[in-house]
Amino acid sequence: MSGTVAMDAASGTGAATGTGAAAGTSAGTAAAGLLLDGVSVRYPARRESALDVSLTVEPGELVGVAGRTGAGKSTLALTAGGFIPRVVRARVDGSVRIDGLDGLTARGSDLAGRVGIVFSTPANQLSASKLTVREELAFGLENLAVPRSEMDARIDDVLDRLAIGHLAVRDPFTLSGGEQQRVAIASILAMGTSVLVLDEPVAQLDPAGSRDVAALLRRLASEGRTVLCVEHDPDLLGRTDRCLVLEGGRAAALDRPGTALGSAVQLPLGLRPPTLVSLAELAELPPDRAFDEDAVAGALAALRGRGPAPRATAGAAGHTVPEPAQRPLEWSPRRPSPTPTLAVRGVAFCYADGPEVLHGVDLVVPPGQAVAIVGQNGSGKTTLAKHLDGLLRPISGSVEIDGSDIGTRGVGSISGTIGFVFQNPDDQLFNRSVEREIAFGPRNLGLEVRLADELVERAIELAGLVPVRTVNPYDLGLSVRKLVALASVLAMEPAVLVLDEPTTGQDGPGADRIGSVIDAYRRAGRTVIAVSHDMEFVATHFERVVVMRQGEIVADGSPEEVFAPDRAALLASTGLLPPVAARLGARLGLGSTPTLHTLLGALRAQER
Amino acid sequence: MSAAAGYFRRGDSWLHRRNPVTKLLALLWLIFAAFLLPSPALLVLVALLAVAAASTRLLRAVVRNLRIPALLFASILVVNAFFFPGARDVIARLGPLAVSREGLSFGLISAGRLLVAFSASILFLYTTLADDLLEALVARGASHRIAFVVLSAVQMVPRLQGRAAAILEAQQARGLDTGGSLRRRVGALVPLVGPIVLGSLIDVRERTFALEARAFGARPGRTAYRVVPDPAVDRLLRWAIVAAAIAVVVVAIARPIG
Repeated sequence: MSGTVAMDAASGTGAATGTGAAAGTSAGTAAAGLLLDGVSVRYPARRESALDVSLTVEPGELVGVAGRTGAGKSTLALTAGGFIPRVVRARVDGSVRIDGLDGLTARGSDLAGRVGIVFSTPANQLSASKLTVREELAFGLENLAVPRSEMDARIDDVLDRLAIGHLAVRDPFTLSGGEQQRVAIASILAMGTSVLVLDEPVAQLDPAGSRDVAALLRRLASEGRTVLCVEHDPDLLGRTDRCLVLEGGRAAALDRPGTALGSAVQLPLGLRPPTLVSLAELAELPPDRAFDEDAVAGALAALRGRGPAPRATAGAAGHTVPEPAQRPLEWSPRRPSPTPTLAVRGVAFCYADGPEVLHGVDLVVPPGQAVAIVGQNGSGKTTLAKHLDGLLRPISGSVEIDGSDIGTRGVGSISGTIGFVFQNPDDQLFNRSVEREIAFGPRNLGLEVRLADELVERAIELAGLVPVRTVNPYDLGLSVRKLVALASVLAMEPAVLVLDEPTTGQDGPGADRIGSVIDAYRRAGRTVIAVSHDMEFVATHFERVVVMRQGEIVADGSPEEVFAPDRAALLASTGLLPPVAARLGARLGLGSTPTLHTLLGALRAQER
Repeated sequence: MSAAAGYFRRGDSWLHRRNPVTKLLALLWLIFAAFLLPSPALLVLVALLAVAAASTRLLRAVVRNLRIPALLFASILVVNAFFFPGARDVIARLGPLAVSREGLSFGLISAGRLLVAFSASILFLYTTLADDLLEALVARGASHRIAFVVLSAVQMVPRLQGRAAAILEAQQARGLDTGGSLRRRVGALVPLVGPIVLGSLIDVRERTFALEARAFGARPGRTAYRVVPDPAVDRLLRWAIVAAAIAVVVVAIARPIG
């Protein structure tokens, strides 16, 4: 399954040269799989190339693409998926061959059925015209003129592969974001293309869902498909045959995932290796075993017996475990206001014409706590969070701020106390510059100009947006737009900050920045409540974890309690997996070690 | 409101069971008839629509949805009643303003025509699934792109409504007050309209991506998973509508519009 690899435009393989082959005519003779030879992509009105890369992915191979935000990953996916330049305008030099076709000149009708592309959000994948998931899955088959008699078998197959059989008759519009994403992946799989390109397919999935998709991609590759997957998720990247790390549109590394995501490549780029890789390096495992959890656990056990014990920042062989690049942020509120106790009492809720999604939820959040709400896709996390500031009203039960029922109080009047940062920033951005956007909230509060200006300044600094303060938010990438949306709420200095999936689509430094903002907010005595699927992020930045399953809270405690070895079965039933450090700690009999530092601390303590 | 369902309300009435193309033809006929037939026919058309809506248990919903166009009907009526050019037959006075018989009559006819067009369209949307309409059009040889334009038009309002609701939530969560004085309300429109316009552009891109990724229009001979029934009675009805359309044209030519 080894692929021919060209690290730069000059060393492309001979088979890749020549862009003149007419679409469709060379399918029988040209190589299958994906071949990008000396490909340079430049968007209109941009001086620099967004992508400058050569890459070959052969049938039966799964190649991952990693890198920080803006590194050119999505451009690579769009090019490999036949969208650039056919659907998205850009100037492309070099040669792109997709399953034997010229990807730069082939018509949509030629590429259809050969290459499938999956995006990170359901909005740009679902047809929005089908009333059931089954019909949605049939949409691509209808367009490919697949006979009606074959459709049901293909639909059943992908329903089974994505474990979404129970959603078959549901209206796609009523599903949670994660459930919709599974449907979106299934809908492309059903089309049976030989080449599959995915751009952050698991960004919205719960941990178990991510793991299932990672295993599925591995299986698809072993069945002979060509799979190229852009992703931040280390679990998925760890299962790839090779991993391309992009930086500034160019290949910084293309190697086995243990090497490409190792500290030698990642640290010079200002990125941290995944926790498992850091531990593998600490235990001096070879890179090809860096994502093998059994091997890492075994090596750590052996290391423990060998002494001296690994330290938090330096391993036995001098390897280091990188600290977060983000330094702790200093922040104290300029608008002093008492942080209230929030109470959700017996809240039940259902959307119009839908089933009940919250069943008598009780939750009390004392002032100054950082609480993470976790659970599988569709468990009611966002629905619960939206009740906290009155965006949704319960059909029974109540939501109280300092003992006072919010009843029918308007959202606007609650927003000074409880700030809600939405998952999709585009629902709120409308100003022509970042700083004007951030000033919107303080202006609505009717604050005096000088104080409002100061709040805006502090929010810009806190969110790390100083370099882009005069830029139009829509000229920024999604991850930065999410930071703008966060800053626009931070500028109001609400006593309680509610975040919905704050790290989705963020690279390591982006997630670290958001984590530091949460830490700073909590240190200032304010409350932070976040819905998240990122268990490592949750374990690192939150003191309390609330686990939801099918509209109910099934566990509530500190990360040490919730991610303890004896809770593994309960977590599994909610579609969650403990963070990797907790899993390793459990294997090594170290008790509950939800973070890298608690794991290393436990190893040291045992050595003593 | 689901964009897929749009205005469609699940049901099993005789109107729900009609083929979408039959209903589309009926809708077009009603609109043409309202504008081409002599004005007394408007009463018959309105009565026809009311009976159809009542028989499908949708009368109340149709009337409720006429609230917004009702403002338009009222303004047409008032403007024509008071300011009809060349009017002579004054039937009432309100200070310096006079209500003319010609103006009132013209206003009533114009508002009636719009009432027929609006209520027929609402009844069509309530009883027709957009996707069925697309399939039925494509099955009749319509270009998939034209069928998609029809589908998008049918879905546009519910999609905009869905996005507007999300935007309203997001701005209220940042303290936007949408109540109070008229000036305040108008001011509150800016942060809502901006994201809706930008969001619509993003929406077009998302739709393009979704349809391209799913090979929409890639192959001739598109097949259908969901079979849209076309019983014999529908074929008969379509011929009847064609005949009725010819009749309308004949009447319109034979007699001046008024």
